[in-house]
Amino acid sequence: MLDIQNLTKSYGQFLAVNNLNLHIDKGEIFGFVGPNGAGKTTTMKIVCGLLAASGGSVMVDGVDALNNPDEIKRKVGYVPDFFGVYDNLKVMEYMEFFGSMYGMKKADVDSISEGLLELVNLSDKKDVFVDTLSRGMKQRLCVARALIHNPELLVLDEPNSGLDPRARFEMKEVLKNLGSMGKTIIISSHILPELSEMCTSIGIMERGQLVTSGHVDDVMNSGNGGMKLHIRLADYGSGEDDVSDGKTYDREELQRTLSEQPNVRKVQCTEDEVLVSFGGDETAAAALLKSLILKGYAVSGFYKEKEDLETLFLELTGNHGGDNE
Amino acid sequence: MKDRFQINPILKKEMMVGSRSMKMSWAIMAICGILTAIVVFVLIITNLASSYAGYSYNSLIVLFPVLGCTECGLLSLMIPVITSASISGEREKQTLDIMLTTPLSPMSIVKGKLMSAMMIVMMYMIASVPVMAIAFVLGGLSWWNLIGLFIMLIYLGIYVGSVGIFCSSVVKKSIAATILTIVIGIGILVGTALFFGIGVSIIEAYNLATGNMISDSHYGLMLIFLFNPYSPIFDFMVRAMTNSSIYEMIGVDNSNIIFEFIYRFWIPISMIINLIISYGFLKLAAKHVNVGHKNKTMKRS
Ligand SMILES: Nc1ncnc2c1ncn2[C@@H]1O[C@H](COP(=O)(O)OP(=O)(O)OP(=O)(O)O)[C@@H](O)[C@H]1O
Ligand SMILES: [Mg+2]
Repeated sequence: MLDIQNLTKSYGQFLAVNNLNLHIDKGEIFGFVGPNGAGKTTTMKIVCGLLAASGGSVMVDGVDALNNPDEIKRKVGYVPDFFGVYDNLKVMEYMEFFGSMYGMKKADVDSISEGLLELVNLSDKKDVFVDTLSRGMKQRLCVARALIHNPELLVLDEPNSGLDPRARFEMKEVLKNLGSMGKTIIISSHILPELSEMCTSIGIMERGQLVTSGHVDDVMNSGNGGMKLHIRLADYGSGEDDVSDGKTYDREELQRTLSEQPNVRKVQCTEDEVLVSFGGDETAAAALLKSLILKGYAVSGFYKEKEDLETLFLELTGNHGGDNE
Repeated sequence: MKDRFQINPILKKEMMVGSRSMKMSWAIMAICGILTAIVVFVLIITNLASSYAGYSYNSLIVLFPVLGCTECGLLSLMIPVITSASISGEREKQTLDIMLTTPLSPMSIVKGKLMSAMMIVMMYMIASVPVMAIAFVLGGLSWWNLIGLFIMLIYLGIYVGSVGIFCSSVVKKSIAATILTIVIGIGILVGTALFFGIGVSIIEAYNLATGNMISDSHYGLMLIFLFNPYSPIFDFMVRAMTNSSIYEMIGVDNSNIIFEFIYRFWIPISMIINLIISYGFLKLAAKHVNVGHKNKTMKRS
């Protein structure tokens, strides 16, 4: 659906997008994540034909986006990161205004708008002036507007910025619905947990480059921090003073034993479980479990923590200090 | 090609929005108020002046240049204000980006903005008809003069509007665009006069120094005023008031056919030149609107 190859955009000396390669399949909801200034907006604007690229190619649905701006405009719907609305214009008229830019007839725009406003939950606001809508409503109206010409690719630049949790939830529902309708969607954000819930795949961008991308779960496992293991022991005890009665383990010894195992980076004993920062893969984890049991530990729980995207994000983007200059 | 006949979406929207906003109504009322005040003022003055000799309505003919010039002046100030936010405002709201993701070409955006400004100019002209009519009926001018004045106003509106939209596409803030438009306008006025003045002095100095006379030199230099958008309006006023024209006033030497032709048809020639310049400004504005895509020419399917 969307195929970006070696995309480069420079502002003078500054490389805002540096040799970006990205592939998004049809029907995917792609989360585009990165810190401020990573080049997300720049990339999205190029995809929408708003900015000329300095190099590389962008194919949308088999069409070369950089050389056929007019064709691309019918395939792509764009919601900018920030946008104002007009005074003295009603919701339905707003839809008609943008519909007419696509050369659509008023009757067509009206019937399509009905459905779209329903989709974004604004059906009861048809005759309201757009400047009186709340921020969240405006944002959803803008999504409806971007869909008026039934684009195949929807590009949303930070659709959740400035929204309260309720409005975020509503936006998320709208986007999930769109996803289930088979639209390909790109959403940028710097708030990760949100994206991981609604996206099928994500890409993490930093300083104009894609650090990692792929299916949400794959990306989450790819962190160089490996995995975090939670180990529970049946007779772990609850406090240090119990050590003497022999029923519980000496934590220091436990910690030492674990640290000696292969791939174990760090061991931390908490109130009721042991946290192990583990560098190996699943098989290595299984080996660790086996050796613990063989050593006579009564393991009652052994599970991998679902990698927190936030930590992953910080890990992936934080350690790159200076390697770009 | 069916969308050729669709009315420009921007024009449609701006008309709808404009009709709801009270700002325009107030502005038009204020302008009609100014025009009425001028008529009343002139009536009083002429009345006082002629009170002992019997009132002559013919003296009301001065209303024509006074009202005409006032209208042109007001228009030249009003249009920069109207058009200043046309592009910069959309850019600020990022609605310009949204528009550019639609198949609407930058030139249609710019044209839509100009047409919207022209709609306001039309409203303003229509609203001023009653006031103008008093002057014309009492002053004994023909309706053709009124129609001619309106054509001049539309022409001036297009010119100033194009400059205004160009400025709005270049400058970020609306206020700056307004000022820049007025500065460019004054620059053209002063620039043409300065060019002429300096040219004349150089030639006179040359004539003095050499003792030779370059004939026709003034006629040639005066052609710079073809680029002054107000010059056809001036010629029009002269023609309406005096049965004379720039052509006769200057007394062009009949031997030079080109000069004679140009001075005789000063109004259409200058108007065409200035309308071409306006089109150039619009083109530049469209180019600036589309600043991200410097190399792409928009081809319609
Ligand atoms: N017109 C411009 N001229 C020069 N530099 C620019 C321009 N636009 C963007 N940049 C630079 O390009 C880089 C990428 O900007 P971009 O807006 O794409 O980042 P972003 O990932 O969208 O960030 P954010 O999360 O803040 O929206 C930034 O460092 C910015 O300073
Ligand atoms: Mg951005």
